[in-house]
Amino acid sequence: MIEESTPSMEQTALLTFVDRLMMRLKSKSLHRNILHTFASIVLALGTAAIIMLATGYDPLQAFSALFLGAILNFDQVLWRATPLLLAGLSVALAFKCGLFNIGAEGQLYMGSLAATAVGYMIALPIVVHQLACLVVGVGVGFLYALLPGVLRAYRGAHEVVTTMMLSYAAVFFTQWMVSQGPMHNPGDWRSISPIIFDSAQIPKILGSAFLNWGFIIAVLFVVVVDFFINKTVMGYEMRAVGSNEDAARTAGIDAKRNMAIALGLSGALAGLAGAVEVQGYYHRFYDQWSGGLGFDGITVAVLGRNNPWGVLGGAIFFGALKAGGLFMQTSAEVPSEMVQVIQGLVVLFVAAPRLIDWFSNHGVAYARWIKDRPLFGFLSLIALSYGVFGAFMGILVAGPYVSSNFSLLLLGFVTSIGGLVVAIFHFQRDERRTRATWMVALLWALMLVSGLSMAAASVVSVALTLAGVGFVISILLMRLQPKSDELKEAA
Amino acid sequence: MNILYGLLSPSAGTVKIKGEEVVLRSPEDAIDRGVGMVHQHFKLIQPLTVTENIMMGYESPGRGHNRYAVAVTLLVLVFSVSLFLLFLGSIPALIASVALVLVIIAAYKSYEIMNYIVEKLYPHTSRGGVRGFVARFLYSISMTFRYFIMNFVPLGIHEAAEKIKRIADENGLAIDPNARILDISVGLQQRVEIIKALYREAEILILDEPTSVLTPQEVDELFATLEKFKDSGKTIILITHKLREPMALCDRISVLRDGELVGTVNRVDTSPEELAQMMVGRPVVFRVQKGPATPGDVVLDVQDISAKDVRGLPAVKGVTFQVRAGEIFGLAGVEGNGQTELVEVLTGLLKSDHGNIYVKGRNVTGKGPRTMREAGIGHIPEDRHKRGLILPFTIEENLALGNHYRPPYSSKKAGIPGFLNLNTIQKNAEKLVHDFSIKVGRVTDTADTLSGGNQQKAVVARELSSEPIALVAAQPTRGLDVGATEYIHNVLISLRDSGVGVLLISAELDEIRNLSDRIGVIFGGRIVAIKDPETTTPQELGLLMAGQTGEVLQ
Repeated sequence: MIEESTPSMEQTALLTFVDRLMMRLKSKSLHRNILHTFASIVLALGTAAIIMLATGYDPLQAFSALFLGAILNFDQVLWRATPLLLAGLSVALAFKCGLFNIGAEGQLYMGSLAATAVGYMIALPIVVHQLACLVVGVGVGFLYALLPGVLRAYRGAHEVVTTMMLSYAAVFFTQWMVSQGPMHNPGDWRSISPIIFDSAQIPKILGSAFLNWGFIIAVLFVVVVDFFINKTVMGYEMRAVGSNEDAARTAGIDAKRNMAIALGLSGALAGLAGAVEVQGYYHRFYDQWSGGLGFDGITVAVLGRNNPWGVLGGAIFFGALKAGGLFMQTSAEVPSEMVQVIQGLVVLFVAAPRLIDWFSNHGVAYARWIKDRPLFGFLSLIALSYGVFGAFMGILVAGPYVSSNFSLLLLGFVTSIGGLVVAIFHFQRDERRTRATWMVALLWALMLVSGLSMAAASVVSVALTLAGVGFVISILLMRLQPKSDELKEAA
Repeated sequence: MNILYGLLSPSAGTVKIKGEEVVLRSPEDAIDRGVGMVHQHFKLIQPLTVTENIMMGYESPGRGHNRYAVAVTLLVLVFSVSLFLLFLGSIPALIASVALVLVIIAAYKSYEIMNYIVEKLYPHTSRGGVRGFVARFLYSISMTFRYFIMNFVPLGIHEAAEKIKRIADENGLAIDPNARILDISVGLQQRVEIIKALYREAEILILDEPTSVLTPQEVDELFATLEKFKDSGKTIILITHKLREPMALCDRISVLRDGELVGTVNRVDTSPEELAQMMVGRPVVFRVQKGPATPGDVVLDVQDISAKDVRGLPAVKGVTFQVRAGEIFGLAGVEGNGQTELVEVLTGLLKSDHGNIYVKGRNVTGKGPRTMREAGIGHIPEDRHKRGLILPFTIEENLALGNHYRPPYSSKKAGIPGFLNLNTIQKNAEKLVHDFSIKVGRVTDTADTLSGGNQQKAVVARELSSEPIALVAAQPTRGLDVGATEYIHNVLISLRDSGVGVLLISAELDEIRNLSDRIGVIFGGRIVAIKDPETTTPQELGLLMAGQTGEVLQ
C-alpha cells in the first residue's frame, strides 16, 4: 500500500476541529432548536400584537419603531446586551450542573460594588487597575455564590431559596454602603459612590456613547464558557452531575464539590457582569443601578437553551428589544413596558415546542374522529372555530373599556377563556363540550345585555352575532349528537 | 398485582372480579371493587398520623362538628352581632343577626343540603327534552358546589379514628391512631397499611413481600392475623419468594417465572422441593463453552461486611468471601436479600458499618468510588439507566466516563484544570465500539439512541477498558435479549481466562450455574452456603435461595 505523507499533529487537530464544528452545525437537533426558538419569538410577538390591539395601540407601528430603533442605535443594542450576555452565561453554566442560580442579580451587585471600591480607593497604573477591578469583581461574585453552593452541596439547602434571599441581602447591603455606609460619596445627597479613577474605567469603542470594550470581554467569555463546559474535565464532570447525578457518583465524580464550584463560577460570571457595567458605563456605583439585569439573565439563558452561543443570540435579541423599546415609546407612543411584556411572552412560548407536539398528537386523533362521523364532526369543527373566534373577540371587544367599564372587561375576559375552553373541549372530544358551548353562548348574551345598557354599538353587534351563532350551534349539537356519545354525556 | 390494583393497564387479557369483567383505571376503581393492596414499599407519609394516613383519599366529612369550628363560628357570630349593633339601628341589627344565624345553620348543613339536591336531581337527568336539559344543567352546578363544599367541610377525623380503633380491635391489630408514622416501628407501619385496606372494606387483600421488613415474631403475628381474615371470608394473595410462608399459610400456590405462570398447585399436594423446582426451572438452554478455571491469588477479600439500606434497616449482616484471580464467583440470590447494598459497599458508594475489604492485599475499606476504581475494582451496575450511563451524553462521552480525569483522556496528569483530549476520547470510543460490536450510528450520537443490549455492552466495554483486577458484575444481563446475554457471558468468561477475578451477582440461577466456578448463596443479608457448581443441583440452590436451610456461614 502506498503510504501518503501523514498529516502533522496540527493539521489533524485543525481538521478534527472543523469536522466537529460542521457536524454540530448540521445536526438535526440544532435545526429543531433554532426553529422552535424562532417559533416562540413569532408567537410571542403575535400575542403581543393582539394585546396591543386590544388596548388600542397600533402593533405595526410599534414593531417597526422597535425594529428601527434597534437598527439605528445598534451600539446601544450591543451595550445593553453585554450584562445580559454575562448574566445569561452565569445562569446557563449553573444550569448545566443542574442548579438554578436565581440570585445572579445579587452576585452582580456585589461584584460591581467590589469593583467600584477597588476603582476609587486604590490608585494603580492603567491596564493593571482595570484588570484588578475586574478580578476583584469576579472574585467577590464567586464567593457570594460559593456560599449557597456549599450549603446546597453539603447540606441540601435548595439554591433557589438561598440565592434569592442573598440577592435581596446584596441589594440592601450595597444600598446601605452607598447611602450611609463607607462608600457614600461625601457631600452628595444621592446614594452613589465616588467616581472611579480614569485608570479603572473601561474605554468606549467606535466613538459610541455606550458601547465599550466590555462587550468584547463578554463575547470572549462566551468562547471561554463554551470551552470550559465542553472541553475541560471539570466542565464534563459538572455536566455529568447535572444530567445524572447517580451515574456520575457511581463513576467516581465528587458531585458535591462540583456543585459548589459550579454555583461559585456562576456567581463569578454574574460578578463580572456587574464589574463590566460599572467600569464601562456608569463609572460609579448608583444605588440599584441594575433594575433586574440578573433576572433578565435568566430569561436570556432560557431563550438560549443554556448553550453559550444561544445565550449570545438571546442577549443581542433582548438588547435590541430594550434599545428599540425606548424608540417605540417616543415615536409610536407605545409604553416601553410593552418590551417587558414581549420578554415575558417569549419565555412563555419557549415552552411552545411542547404545545406544538401536543397539538400534532391530538390533532391526528381529532381528524380521524371527524372522518368517522362526517356530519357531527364537521359541526364540532365549526364549534371549535366558534370557540377560537370568540376567544379573540372577547378580548378585542372589551379591551377599549379597560378604563371606563372594568366589569365589562372582566366579562369579556371570562368569555374569552370560555371560548378557549370550548375549543379545547371539542378538540379533545370531551363529553362536556356541548354544555360548554351553550354556556359561552349565554356569556355572549350577557355581554349583549351589558352592551345595550351602555349603548356601546360595537359590543352589541359582536355580542348579538356571537350569542346567536352560539345558541344555534348548541342546539344543532344536541340534536345531531349520535346515541353512543350521548350515554357518556349524561354522566 | 399492579394491574389488579389499577396502577398499570394490561396490554392484553382480562380481569374478572366476582365473575364480572372489570377495567381498572386507577386504584380508586380497584378499591371500589374491594381490592386492597399492601405494597412492599409503604405508601405512607412520615410526618402525618396514623389516622391521617389511613383517611387519605377516602375522607368523609365530619358529622359532629369539631371544637375549633364551633369556637370560630361563635367568635364570628359575637363579633358580627356587636358590629351590627354598633353601626346599624337596633331593628336592622336584629334582622341582620337572624340572617347571619340562618346563614351559619345553612353552612353547617350545606353538605347535607347539597347531597339532598343532587340526589333529587339525578333521576331527572336522563330525561329528554327541555326538562332533562334543565335538570342536567342544575345537576352540574349542584355537583360543582357540592364538590367545593366537600373540600371545606371539617374533616371527620374523630369518626375515622373511632372506625380505626374498631377495626383494630376486631382484628387484633393494636395501633394508636394518633401516633405519627415516623415514630412507629416498621412492623407497626405495615399494620397501618393493612388497616388502610380494611378501612376501605377490602375483601381481596394483596400483600407484596410483607415479611421482608418484619422480625420473626412480627411475622408470626401477621400470619395469625391473616388466618383470621381467611376465616372471616376474605381473600388473600400473598407475594413472596420465601418458601416457608406459602407452606405455612396458603391453600393454593402459583409460581411465576420470567413473567409467565409455571403452574398452580394445592399446598397439601406439594412440597418445598417441588416449588423450588418450579421456581428455577429446567437446566439452562445455552451452555457456554469454557475451559477449566485456573484460580490464582486472592484479588478481592471481603471480611465480615455489614451495612444498612436506605431505610436504615440492616441489609448486609456479616458477609465474608474471597474472589481469586481467574475465577468467577457467582452469588446467587433473589433480589432484595442485600445484594444491592453489598455491591454498593464494594464499589465505594456505601460505607459499611464494620468489616474490611482488600483488593490484592490493599485495604480499601470505606474509600470512595474513584479510589475503588483506581485500586482495580470494575463495576457493572445493575441499573444501567440510573447508575451505568448518562443518557443525555454522547456515546463517546459515556465510554470515557470514570476515566475521564486521567490520561490519555485528559491532558494533565491530575488536578482541577484538566483539559479533555477529545481526539483520544473519540478514537477510544471508536475502538471500543468496534471491539465489542456495539451497534451505533455515530459515536457522537447520544446514548439513549442505543438499544438495551447495546447500552449494556457499552457499560461493559467501558469498565473493561480500565483493565480491572476484580470486576463486580451486578445483574449484568437483566433486561437483555438472548443474543446480548450470550455475548456478555462470553465476555465474562474471557475476562476470567485473562486473570481477572469476577464477582457475578445475579438472580438468574441458570446464569450463575452456567458461568461460575464457585457459587455462593445470599439470603437475608448473609452468605448461607458456598457450593461447587459441579456437585450441586438447581433444586438445592433454589432451596438455599429461598431460605430453606438452617446453616449460616461465617
